[in-house]
Amino acid sequence: MRYFISFFLIIAVFGTVNAQKKPVVFEKKMVLVTAGKYKPFFSTKSNKPVAVAAFKMDETAVTNQEFLEFVKANPQWRRSKVNRLFADTNYLRHWKSDLSIGESNKKIYNSPVVNVSWFAAEAYCKWKNKRLATVAEWELAARGVPKNIKQKSLTDYILNWYTQPNLPVLPNVKSTYQNEFGLYDMNGLIWEWTFNFNSFIASTDSRGNDEDELKNFCAAGALNVSDKSDYATYLRFSYRASLKGNYCIPNLGFRCAKDLK
Amino acid sequence: MLHFVKTDHLWKPAFLPMILFISVSFFIASCKTNPGNDSGASNIDTVLTGTVTAELTNAPNVPKPLTYTSPKKVMVQLETIEKVMPISDSSEYTFWTFGGHVPGNFIRVRQGDLVDFTLKNSPDSKMSHSIDLHAVIGPGGGADATATAPGQSTHFQFRALHAGLYVYHCATGPVPLHIANGMYGLILVEPQGGMPKVDREYYLMQGDFYTKGKFDAKGLQDFDETKALAENPDYVLFNGRVRSTTGPNALQAKVGETVRLYVGNGGPNLVSSFHPIGQLFTKVYTEAGSEVNTDVQTTLIPAGGATIVEMKMQVPEVINLVDHSIFRAFNKGAIAQIKVTGAENHSIYQKLKP
Repeated sequence: MRYFISFFLIIAVFGTVNAQKKPVVFEKKMVLVTAGKYKPFFSTKSNKPVAVAAFKMDETAVTNQEFLEFVKANPQWRRSKVNRLFADTNYLRHWKSDLSIGESNKKIYNSPVVNVSWFAAEAYCKWKNKRLATVAEWELAARGVPKNIKQKSLTDYILNWYTQPNLPVLPNVKSTYQNEFGLYDMNGLIWEWTFNFNSFIASTDSRGNDEDELKNFCAAGALNVSDKSDYATYLRFSYRASLKGNYCIPNLGFRCAKDLK
Repeated sequence: MLHFVKTDHLWKPAFLPMILFISVSFFIASCKTNPGNDSGASNIDTVLTGTVTAELTNAPNVPKPLTYTSPKKVMVQLETIEKVMPISDSSEYTFWTFGGHVPGNFIRVRQGDLVDFTLKNSPDSKMSHSIDLHAVIGPGGGADATATAPGQSTHFQFRALHAGLYVYHCATGPVPLHIANGMYGLILVEPQGGMPKVDREYYLMQGDFYTKGKFDAKGLQDFDETKALAENPDYVLFNGRVRSTTGPNALQAKVGETVRLYVGNGGPNLVSSFHPIGQLFTKVYTEAGSEVNTDVQTTLIPAGGATIVEMKMQVPEVINLVDHSIFRAFNKGAIAQIKVTGAENHSIYQKLKP
């Protein structure tokens, strides 16, 4: 616990110092996700639980305002200049222009940036000397016990989020729950890119039409799923499986991670 | 290069006999009368004559019968939409739909048509969706080609080889949840020459729903996984809502008319014992296949299956179409109605004084 507090303090102090140097660019607070084991959702015989080393993760998703700084510093990531191979035509479409989120979008300055591709997310993280989290890291981090949610379980919380219609304006970061690691909004606000978003699922047809004979059999697609009744996780993996690296989607954003030094 | 030359040498001598063999088999095949029709399959060698865009309708309406006589390329575009709608007078539910309604758009094509299919997922969707059409012969019934993220589109084509009425549904994991939320509809593949003419055609589809609150509880209801696994629904509905097709929304018909119903069962769990109260089915295309049964009181519709039924309207009445697993009709919503108007025919039915 003491370690945790001192860690937060160091990060906080570091953040303040940096903010003073460059008043516009805020250093995002990162929190520690402790080491753990991740059992893949789609398991095969050879697929053993993955050991995940401790790492640092942004406490919230990257916001529109933060992403604007990146776009300003990296012209090739402006809406009008971006290479279509790296971002489809929906890239930052909710912004007013290349370098303006727009006065009318004031409410989303501090909301997660969406309509960004995997390539853009990865480039942003690199620019910050960070990287995207792997699926295993992300899932481990998201498993953190939530503080102050109404629902009985995290699964119930997520399923409830799924049934709520999209709000007209995407809420700001930190508007949902915080978990035991100190991470905000791991569920309930947006979907997030992961480094290897489509490598943990074998097939586009969820019932497992695959070359793999074993998978061919799963009429209901659930034969290789580690917990068939975990619909919340199942939906997240199906979502990831339908993505391509250049997709820009109105409910898909990201946060960055970093190795411990 | 050397490799190519070598291969060339190897297969050249076999080339001529092969051509001969192919042309002879083609000749024999073309001499047979309608070789495909024995199995109900269409002849895929027929040249397509032009492109049309499929008319899509929402239940209870059915697209007009097709008038063309030779196979065409048919363009179909469905959009998956997640939408809050009333499930009963007091309850709302976040339905996942094909086209904004439950059941999804009715698609009508002709046997032999080449269907060019685009699945679009609304940018407002939270989920990825896909489609498995039971009329498709190919990986996942199209699901393999259509995992579609919000705001994106996917595209594939298939040949409508067999006539019949087929269920389509979302096949994205977890499939049962997508189906339980209303992601199903029907595609009719008319036989070559079309369906026999009737006076009216309607579209009904049964489905079972599982909510945290009880039947007709107030407000927006969450999906209840425990009830769904126990196959214990709160709602069993025709066309996605209690009273979707009753009272002022009843299907209409006149005495003397023949009415055809295209009826599907999306499930996810229940099998329907489909029955018309005060009528009987003069014709049932059993399981929507090519066997026609006559004079049937109640016909089974499997989950993920369909039927085509016809009735001759004889007297004015309100026909209650029910799932004759009768608690579902009384307590869970499984009633649709046909209001038949016209002259009494006392030789068929009359109420007598005590």
